[in-house]
Amino acid sequence: MSEYKIRKGKEIAFTISITILTFLGILPLFHIIATVFVNGLPVITKESFTFLTGTFSNGGIGPAIAGTFILIFLSSLIGLPVALLVGVYAYEYPNSIIGKATETLLQIMLEFPTILVGVFAMSIIAIPMGTYSAFAGAFALAIILMPYVAVYTQEAMRQIPFTYREASFGLGLSRIKVIFRILVPLSKRGILTGVLIGMAKVAGETAPLLFTIGGLYESYPVSVTKPVGAVPLLIYTLVQSPSKGNHRMAWGASLILLLIFLLIFIPIRVSLKEVKL
Amino acid sequence: MKKKCYVGIGIATICIVLIIAELHIYIGNEKSVILRTTGATFPQYQIQKWIKVYQQSHPEVKIEYEGGGSGYGQETFLQGLTHIGRTDPPVKEDTWNKFLNTGDQPLQFPVIVGAVVVAFNLPGINELKLSSEALVDIFIGDIEYWDDRSIKSLNPEVNLPHEKIIVIHRSDASGTTAIFTTYLSLISEKWANKIGAGKTVNWPVDNMGRGLAGKGNSGVVAILKQKEGSICYTELSFAIEENLSVAAIQNKNGRFVKPTTETIQSAVSQVSSYIPSPTEGYKEDIKQLLNAAGDNSYPIVAFTHLLVWQNKDRKHYSPEKAKAIKDFLAWILTDGQKEENIAPGYVPLPPDVAQIGLNAVKMIRI
Amino acid sequence: MFRFFTLFTGGRKMKPCFNKIFKSVRRIDTFQIITLPAVIFVFLLFVLMLFVYFYNALPAFIREGLAVYFKNIWQASEEPGKEYYGLIAAIWGTVYTSMIAILIALPISIAYSVFVIDYVPKKLKNIFIIVSDMMAGLPTIIYGIWGVFALVPFLQKYIMTPLYKNLSFIPIFSYPPVTGYSYFSAGVLLGIMVTPFASAVIREAYQMIPFTYREAAISLGLTRYEATKILLGYIKPAIFSGMILAFGRAVGETVAVSLIIGNTFNLSPSLFAPGYTISSLIANQFGNAYIYRHMLPVLYAGGLSLFIIGLIVNIVGLYLLRRWQENVRI
Repeated sequence: MSEYKIRKGKEIAFTISITILTFLGILPLFHIIATVFVNGLPVITKESFTFLTGTFSNGGIGPAIAGTFILIFLSSLIGLPVALLVGVYAYEYPNSIIGKATETLLQIMLEFPTILVGVFAMSIIAIPMGTYSAFAGAFALAIILMPYVAVYTQEAMRQIPFTYREASFGLGLSRIKVIFRILVPLSKRGILTGVLIGMAKVAGETAPLLFTIGGLYESYPVSVTKPVGAVPLLIYTLVQSPSKGNHRMAWGASLILLLIFLLIFIPIRVSLKEVKL
Repeated sequence: MKKKCYVGIGIATICIVLIIAELHIYIGNEKSVILRTTGATFPQYQIQKWIKVYQQSHPEVKIEYEGGGSGYGQETFLQGLTHIGRTDPPVKEDTWNKFLNTGDQPLQFPVIVGAVVVAFNLPGINELKLSSEALVDIFIGDIEYWDDRSIKSLNPEVNLPHEKIIVIHRSDASGTTAIFTTYLSLISEKWANKIGAGKTVNWPVDNMGRGLAGKGNSGVVAILKQKEGSICYTELSFAIEENLSVAAIQNKNGRFVKPTTETIQSAVSQVSSYIPSPTEGYKEDIKQLLNAAGDNSYPIVAFTHLLVWQNKDRKHYSPEKAKAIKDFLAWILTDGQKEENIAPGYVPLPPDVAQIGLNAVKMIRI
Repeated sequence: MFRFFTLFTGGRKMKPCFNKIFKSVRRIDTFQIITLPAVIFVFLLFVLMLFVYFYNALPAFIREGLAVYFKNIWQASEEPGKEYYGLIAAIWGTVYTSMIAILIALPISIAYSVFVIDYVPKKLKNIFIIVSDMMAGLPTIIYGIWGVFALVPFLQKYIMTPLYKNLSFIPIFSYPPVTGYSYFSAGVLLGIMVTPFASAVIREAYQMIPFTYREAAISLGLTRYEATKILLGYIKPAIFSGMILAFGRAVGETVAVSLIIGNTFNLSPSLFAPGYTISSLIANQFGNAYIYRHMLPVLYAGGLSLFIIGLIVNIVGLYLLRRWQENVRI
């Protein structure tokens, strides 16, 4: 065989294997979404109002959904201010020792095992408080949320052309005014993206909630210092039981979780070019 | 513009859901008291039935059921993370002292009688007889295949497959395990010496590659249903609810009995159970209902217990919670023991035993 | 105030010096006063976390020393004297499943990056990237439930059982795939879960290669395959770093793994054996660890080891990536 043919053959084999491998990598997502829909849709459409708003003995996951929203809200309340400040600091002093260390720390925390954060939150919040609570769970989630928002804030602000900074400083504004009055509003969109991505991630987390929130599925949560439920935690508990009824509810809850996730994720992703993980 | 649309839709959905939730909270939770019970999964179906029935007649009380095993139940009770703890075996003295160290008085009493059964998954086979030796040998790992001579000789008409026996046990600290292993220690010196009894034990089958662990009775049963050729120990109610095949095991009199309401009641009636005062719960002996005499008695029978605080100086419960707990427990020990409120797989308490629980309930201070 | 100061310091000579000090004091402006505490707070929180783990693990170290990481025994007993624990089975499980995960992630993430950048028409490119990002952000419990009900039965029926039936003389296939819950299933699921992270790093690096290299390759008449080989060689450190970061992610994953790994204390090299990972051990045993006097510190020790593994892996990965990035910017 001529050398050309060998090379051509390798080229074709390569192209084929690349394509196959890529699709192998992509396939699971579609299969997952399809499976969740196929298994979850019948559960939801059967008695949707009861499922979405009823308590567990009545066949609903309402309290869990409420709990998830409470946790997202509370963890954002705790985590966003800190995250914004840290992100802004990392942007402003990229070359100082503290700045570099901050960036490294943020990257580390991005990938940190979430179970460790959960156990930590349990030992410093749930146990001294003497009770499981939404607050403990939100605290753990805030720790997980923070690096995402901080990194996105930093990146977003980096995108702003330098001229804006120069002009603002040239006008004699103090640093704090430059950052918070001019640059941050300019990078609003990027920061908002980060916030939403963080919230989406945190809505789906299970491990940090295992030992902090306790679970509440018979009644709606009314206090943040009392136990609360969450959709991912409920799914985790239901999957491990042998009853088919519980499995059905788990699929329904998974579909709800998937929908919440997609609802937040797709709009952001469509409007943004590059997502940092 | 498009993005604003999406964001708008997202926010609108969230608002709608929140409003619905608010309505529910407002309508449903006006004055509800929320109680929490955590621990043993041995009485799971019974507790859940009681919760369901009680909530129907008492809509202002909501009772949250949490599993986790007897060990978890004792621990969360100690930490004050739950109102009513559930434990199958009576609490040990060490732990009882830890309870006392909180400054409050713990109260323990039995609420229902259940049985630990040996369930198996062999397609096409519904009946199996296991002698005491065979039972021990299977769980200790000495018998490897289903068609082993010792099993076959007891069940000559059954077509046992030449498959390895997969033993499923608990991964968490389990009262069910404690009851089962205490029974095996009672009937077999080999077991008592090699493995012993406890909420968690070392299963030799794990090292042989034939052991699997599940979390809670439900976890164990979930695995059993999926794996052919497996065997496990679990509470009777799980076998009934999940339609599992149950083995007939040898009782003290040498007869092979299957766990049914009659055989369990026979065991309970044969024994004049010694239930200590609720303030001295650790004195109870887990062995008392095990291996009961009587031709028709099922050998692995046990009480399961609840733990509540006396609430000295309102240390653990607010007045309304204490009242709700008293009402609920009193109901469990009276109406709850009536036949229509008993879940399949459980047997009500003898009246004198129920009285002890009622005495404990009287002791709770509002 | 300045005049007062000069009374003690010899007058005019000190003015420039003083001005310098004064200016540097002023440089700590309100911006830092607001943001620096937040930064310090985060650092302190992290250190506190490390401390909490270390402090709670200390009793285990005192009782058994570092041997607690190397023994394979898990004997829980309510008599404290009889308790013995060892974490090696869990550590092995964590490392083994993560290795399987990156073995799967490596070819797929490379193929994916090359495909998306070189082969895909511009319009579809964004869709592929969105899909990858979605896989990265998807709630792990959904991976878990899919793993339990879809992946494991599939793997058991079509891959594990045939391999076991035919190739069980090879040690890694020698364990009977009883329920499908095994290192293999967990490794595959982890591989699927961490591939997007590795792809993101590799994709970005591949994109960053200066166009001149591609131009040169094309002008030399290389086929796409050969050109890609060269370009990939160029970004080798980034690939390595991507794998390390993926490993770090895989090590920390809890929920999805704990549902399909079988949760038994096994120390087997066989793919189809059930096992434990550190994170699923903590998730499963933490709830009842309190009634055993010595189990809790051991679990914290396990958490500490996870902490340290995660830390080391991440730092190494980031360091390599950054060094390579600095070298690439021509």
